[in-house]
Amino acid sequence: MRKKHTFTCVNCPLSCSLELVEEDGEVLEVSGNECEVGRRYAEEEFRDPRRMVTTTVRVRNGILPLLPVVSTRPIPKSLVREAVKALSNVEVEAPVQDGQVIYRDILGTGADMVASRRLDQLA
Amino acid sequence: MRDKNRDRLRERLNPTLPASARAVVVGAGIIGCAIAREITRYLSDVVVLDKENDVACGASKANNAEVHSGIGEEAGTLKQKLNVRGNRMYDDFVAGLGVEFKRQGLLIVVTPRSVPPEVTEKMGPKELDELLRVKIPEGIVAYGKAAGIEGLRVLSREEVLKREPNVTPEAVAGVFDPNYGLVCPYKLTIALAEHAVINGARVILNTEVTGIRVEDGEVKGVITDRGEIATGLVVNAAGVFADEVAEMAGAGGFRIHPRKGATLLFDRQVTSEYVRSSVALFKMPGMKKERSKGGGAMPTVEGNLQLGPTAVEVEDKHDTSITAEEIEEIFERFHYLLPSFPREAVISAFSGVRAPTYEEDFVIEASERVRGFVNVAGIQSPGLASAPAIVEMVMGFLHGLGIPREPRPDFDPTRPSTPRFAELDDRERKALIRKDPRWGNIVCRCEYVTEAEVLAAIHSLVPATDMDGVKRRTRTGMGRCQGGFCGHRVAAILARELGIPVTEVTKSGDGSPLYLGRAKDLLRPGRASHG
Amino acid sequence: MGKARKPDVVVIGAGPAGLGAALAASEAGARDVMLIERDVELGGILPQCIHDGFGSIVFGETLTGPQYAQRFIDRVERSDIEVKLNTMVLDLRPDRSLTAVNSRDGVLEIKPRAVVLAMGCRERTRHQVLIPGYRPAGVICAGAAQRDINIEGLMPGRRVVILGSGDIGLIMARRFTLEGAEVEGVYEIMDHPGGLTRNLVQCLHDYDIPLHLSHTVTFIHGRKRVEAVTVSRVDEDLKPIPGTERLVPCDALVLSVGLIPENELSRGAGVLLDPATGGPVVDERMETSVEGIFACGNVMNVFDLVDYVTHTAEVAGRAAAEYAVHGARRRREALAVRPGRNVRFVVPQLLRGHDREVYFYFRVRHPERAVRARLVAGGMPLAAKRARMVRPPEMVRLRADPEKLGEAVSRGGLSIEVMPEDREPGELSGKVAPEDQEPESLEPEDRE
Repeated sequence: MRKKHTFTCVNCPLSCSLELVEEDGEVLEVSGNECEVGRRYAEEEFRDPRRMVTTTVRVRNGILPLLPVVSTRPIPKSLVREAVKALSNVEVEAPVQDGQVIYRDILGTGADMVASRRLDQLA
Repeated sequence: MRDKNRDRLRERLNPTLPASARAVVVGAGIIGCAIAREITRYLSDVVVLDKENDVACGASKANNAEVHSGIGEEAGTLKQKLNVRGNRMYDDFVAGLGVEFKRQGLLIVVTPRSVPPEVTEKMGPKELDELLRVKIPEGIVAYGKAAGIEGLRVLSREEVLKREPNVTPEAVAGVFDPNYGLVCPYKLTIALAEHAVINGARVILNTEVTGIRVEDGEVKGVITDRGEIATGLVVNAAGVFADEVAEMAGAGGFRIHPRKGATLLFDRQVTSEYVRSSVALFKMPGMKKERSKGGGAMPTVEGNLQLGPTAVEVEDKHDTSITAEEIEEIFERFHYLLPSFPREAVISAFSGVRAPTYEEDFVIEASERVRGFVNVAGIQSPGLASAPAIVEMVMGFLHGLGIPREPRPDFDPTRPSTPRFAELDDRERKALIRKDPRWGNIVCRCEYVTEAEVLAAIHSLVPATDMDGVKRRTRTGMGRCQGGFCGHRVAAILARELGIPVTEVTKSGDGSPLYLGRAKDLLRPGRASHG
Repeated sequence: MGKARKPDVVVIGAGPAGLGAALAASEAGARDVMLIERDVELGGILPQCIHDGFGSIVFGETLTGPQYAQRFIDRVERSDIEVKLNTMVLDLRPDRSLTAVNSRDGVLEIKPRAVVLAMGCRERTRHQVLIPGYRPAGVICAGAAQRDINIEGLMPGRRVVILGSGDIGLIMARRFTLEGAEVEGVYEIMDHPGGLTRNLVQCLHDYDIPLHLSHTVTFIHGRKRVEAVTVSRVDEDLKPIPGTERLVPCDALVLSVGLIPENELSRGAGVLLDPATGGPVVDERMETSVEGIFACGNVMNVFDLVDYVTHTAEVAGRAAAEYAVHGARRRREALAVRPGRNVRFVVPQLLRGHDREVYFYFRVRHPERAVRARLVAGGMPLAAKRARMVRPPEMVRLRADPEKLGEAVSRGGLSIEVMPEDREPGELSGKVAPEDQEPESLEPEDRE
């Protein structure tokens, strides 16, 4: 069955409104794009949209109560909320180094969550 | 000292009522606190009650800070009489309180718009000029003289524009009234409350009066949601609720109909020199029915330009909102009087509810039906200016009802005030920081308020226990960023000092938490963190 | 205490601008560099911007705000820059002397040879946009909400309405949602979104958060805590249309209604401000109208990209060091670089010398497709770049090399203009060297 999907390209200020037509998962046509980047973007957003995860986790004995963390690579968009929820139960002990791995292989995506700053211990 | 502070805070947050008091004042606005302070000159056993989480939470915190001279009042009213007298008493009234009071004066501007078109149409240009330039200004001066207001002066157009260069070039003449003063109304209320406390009074907040016990035509007690205080003297200074409190005692007979007034406040840095005195456009009487006084441009004590207030009848006594129409009205009105005022420099807008009666005059009386019950009602502008004379009149009744006429020998005439870092010179600042480093920790970047000042407000005689309370005492959050920088800092200090989690810190008492829980709580149902 | 400190360079503010300026000054040979920050740690607003999208121009990779800050903080810690945290500058005077205060040193009198203004910007509040209604708890600016959630770990609301579709508003819509709060919608008074497309897609579309264009909040309900807001549709003059009101129950109203460069200290020092940017008028070395006082970052005008902030900081820091070390040179007369066709403002506003390359930053007045942005001197285009699309929210940067600038200075009559591409085919004098042309469009990135 043929289906249409619409996306807004985020790669430049033109913000093209893209329309992708597919049949049973096979991309038949992308329109509305002004360049090749737009076509690729539409296909990615259709096939396997991915996003970086950024959130915070609790810290014990830190100068601040929370530590910002970031995924080492984008994960499937549909898993972002669940990843953030899983991380809400994590608590780490200060001090934390910038880049320190806080959570390995989040939701089996292969991405690790790492500290995105240094966070010192409360003096 | 610190223990004493802790005890006072504990008591403040969870007050216990005394079984009895010689006198109970209902309402901790400017009038209630001024009366309580005055009573303590004669005896210490007085209690002030208020249902809000701080003093000055009604009209006392949301008026234009003007101490009027009486020039705007109707001749022969009690209002005018008390206003003229109150204005004269002001320097003595604020003495020893550590509250700034200055007489900046009022410039009344006369322009062609001072007279309705139907009058001007019938006049020749010469006649109109004579009316605007001579008759009206001289009339104002004569009107003032008759009321006992001294020092009024007619100004030429040139003198008007020299005095206030931002006034409309359409100005034809003016009158300068040097008696007008400025005082921060809530700071004055807080100072009066503290002065009363120094002299033995108790200020009990978060306590709502629900009834007045009257037996055989005499007051016997005040019933509240925290219990009852036996007393033979009740002063009803309940502002917009004064009619309801009077009814509780069966000593009513007047109705308060709330009338809202909105004011716009401008950035001090932009407008500190914009007007030097209060400025108002003269309107021939009867041109517009403006029953409540006010409506002008004026600086605050701190130097912010203020425009307003409006006068809108409302149904709800709690209606402190501002509508789009009111904002537009203020802009329109002042665009004429001050054509270049910096519209974009608005930093705040606030609104208060006036408490007029239908007679539009003050109701100050010892009830004839209920002995020991004194009404101080219908107090709207110029209530702030009239306060000293109102207090004097009320004391006349109270002396008749048993308050001794002989002052206490141990009355302390001064109330110590906390210095303001922003107003000190470097030498004074250095000395304070050496004594206590918290004087060097700036919490509010716009108004340069230090941690030491915030602490002093929380541990004062009438402790600030919410954000607005700290703000009124120290000016945190009153600047151009409106708390963007200092909000979480002040909240953290309040939490620490009150011994509560920061999630329980409020803006203005119960029901106004700043935060609705902690991050992650919503993601972990059933595992919400505490503390 | 007592005697005044006399460092070479004082930098006021340690956000991305101040960090960059202090490092550049130090690396350019300034001996004592003092970095003054009123907050408890370095980084300014960056530590709370936990999302990614920073640094693609400066570092060639996308970083989160804290990561971007950390790179500079690490360098500052390895340098001999003197950092004063929890320190507030109270007063800056035209002779560059300043007074600062903190708990440890008390009142500090400082007389630096050069000063760099890097105070950043602040958020416009509800009263500056005059939203009618009550004044309850729960009306909060988006940046303050971001700090509450990401740094303090506190939730300023659970059911949220956001007014303003600037990038911070969009980013906070996602952040509130990810923290389990409900974002009822984002309301934007203009008929087009204020933020970058990427943020519209990744912060709103991804989470099915509706964006209501041509809408504004016309009343705030609730005496103690926000209980609801009234939203209304607006007409072309941005005036609410009667009869379109809708009551939206919520417990917080989050405002993303603009940023204002923070120039209170600049005013005190007598620095000339540009009404179009809200920040100091600067020349190509980021020197203000007061000799020896330089400016960079959002204090000059609100940039969309932190990378641009860093770039201006490096220019300002280096120039401040040169000024401090070599002393005042006779200032050449300044040529104004005026905003021309479809350009709202240009930074730097002045050009004095042409000894180095200069990046001009500007915003357009209205969206336009297929354009050429160019520096014009005496009617002659000198440097240009093409863009498929320009939009007011997205700042444009145009590079000019020393040779071109030399020509510009000798011709005079400088302006920056945006022209439709098709109208002047081949009108450029000579060829535009490839390095004169930046990529055709800006990298899509989050703003601070």
